Amino acid sequence: MSVNRKRAAIIGIGAVKVGRYPEKQESELALQVIRDALKDAQISSRQIDGLFTTPDLQGNIGLQTNLLCEYLRISPRSMAEICCGAIAGGLTLKYAADEIQAGRIKAAVCYGAVREGSIGWFKNLSQGKGWSMIEPTALQPYAAYGIIWAYALSARRYMHETGATEEDFALAAVRNRKNAAGNPVAAFAKPITVEDVLRSRCLSSPIKLLDSAASLDGAAAVIVVSEEAARDLSPHPVYLQGWGLHHDPSCVIPTDNCSTSISHFKATREAAKEAFQKAGIRPEDVDVAEIYAPFSSHELIIPEDIGWFQNGEMARALRRGETDITGRIPINTDGGLTSRGHPWAATPLYETVNIVRQLRGTAGPIQVRGAKVGLMHCEGGMMNNGLVMIFGRD
Amino acid sequence: MTSKPNFLKPTNLESPGAVPFWEGLQAGKFLAPRCGQCGELFFPPRSHCPECLGDSLSWEELSGKGFLYSWTELFFAQPEFDTPFFLGLIDLAEGIGRIAARISAKTAEELHIGMSVRIRISKPVDGLALYYAEPSRPES
Repeated sequence: MSVNRKRAAIIGIGAVKVGRYPEKQESELALQVIRDALKDAQISSRQIDGLFTTPDLQGNIGLQTNLLCEYLRISPRSMAEICCGAIAGGLTLKYAADEIQAGRIKAAVCYGAVREGSIGWFKNLSQGKGWSMIEPTALQPYAAYGIIWAYALSARRYMHETGATEEDFALAAVRNRKNAAGNPVAAFAKPITVEDVLRSRCLSSPIKLLDSAASLDGAAAVIVVSEEAARDLSPHPVYLQGWGLHHDPSCVIPTDNCSTSISHFKATREAAKEAFQKAGIRPEDVDVAEIYAPFSSHELIIPEDIGWFQNGEMARALRRGETDITGRIPINTDGGLTSRGHPWAATPLYETVNIVRQLRGTAGPIQVRGAKVGLMHCEGGMMNNGLVMIFGRD
Repeated sequence: MTSKPNFLKPTNLESPGAVPFWEGLQAGKFLAPRCGQCGELFFPPRSHCPECLGDSLSWEELSGKGFLYSWTELFFAQPEFDTPFFLGLIDLAEGIGRIAARISAKTAEELHIGMSVRIRISKPVDGLALYYAEPSRPES
């Protein structure tokens, strides 16, 4: 039995520059990137029979597929608007691939479009919006702003256990910014130094402004088809070689016991283990990776959980440039959440777009030479769940 | 007296599974539910036991002791809060759960991961008494 039989493949990508689009509707951003992805795939919207997207966070009832089907004049045989925190963008790919592998559909659009969605989420937190992950008795009373405090508690614990410093975290933010300068869709291109990061405004110690992902607008879309169709349609298909998905028994901060770690995360580990197993590869076989780290501290934690480094080794790896574009495992070559920018529901799709560019060899100044195997990681809550996807050129 | 509440109102103040806990705080007690079906003592309070999903619960007072698992100083918060303030993640001494609680420290130097803390209960504001943590004074 071959694990790779009837693989799904990505044949088209589209993404707008991350930034602010106050004048546009979310659906307009969506149409723009779907059009670009269809053009990139050289197929017509009439060929689309699957539509998968992420939650609408502006307080609407969750029926953007309704508008989109009319705007695109398409009649999908399978569709879903998927929630589950910020992992949703990655789940659109998983469920599209499932439907393709089951033979139910032939070509799916997966997209995420965010316009001031995250800002609304923060603004309304005290009115109870966005609280579904925050345990009411043990966490809500002092859940003072978004979930920065939760990541700060995680970062502090990681420092305690590994000896990592705020300067180590800053190195990851500096690496991301340097990479973003070569990514045409990144929000931030101005170079920064470790000193800039350390001196930036403290939000929730040890996390400072330049350690943090900027919540911005953006949209990205990906076209997924079957392996057979990809071979006919595309000069450079990128195949989904395997994926892993896991949810830990925890909410944003595990409150139900005193033994669940917040310095390393089981969900990431389990998802990575399953993905490597399904793809039949080892962590060191990955040529280029995108990880979902909303804060620079988690740029150290996640690679250790995925299995490229032992616990506490990432600080030294950053100093040695091992995760740079020319390093042994290039991570977040597009700038990551902190410098590409973070339109959160679309972020996993932005990550996927960069992996596809890398594997096609069209990533320009941020190209990893000869990249054949790419990894995309995304998560929901505070790494309470995790999705890891392995992509390959052949 | 500060004019800010310095907390957010939890969404479960009237939930049957949590009312005895919030009422317990009003009475100066930090309570945890025990499942009448399987005997599990658990925290935080929920309508159904996380072990067996039983919903017949009795309530027991905890020691009010805990350990600092991690902490942060918040400089950036919603308008309901005075900043900066220290937030601790506290492991309950009974080993059954964790809470995020404001911790009464003046400087970061007072805080050490692993240190003992006491869970205290504030005077009611808007009818809500709330827990906070205080670094334990060494026994003398």
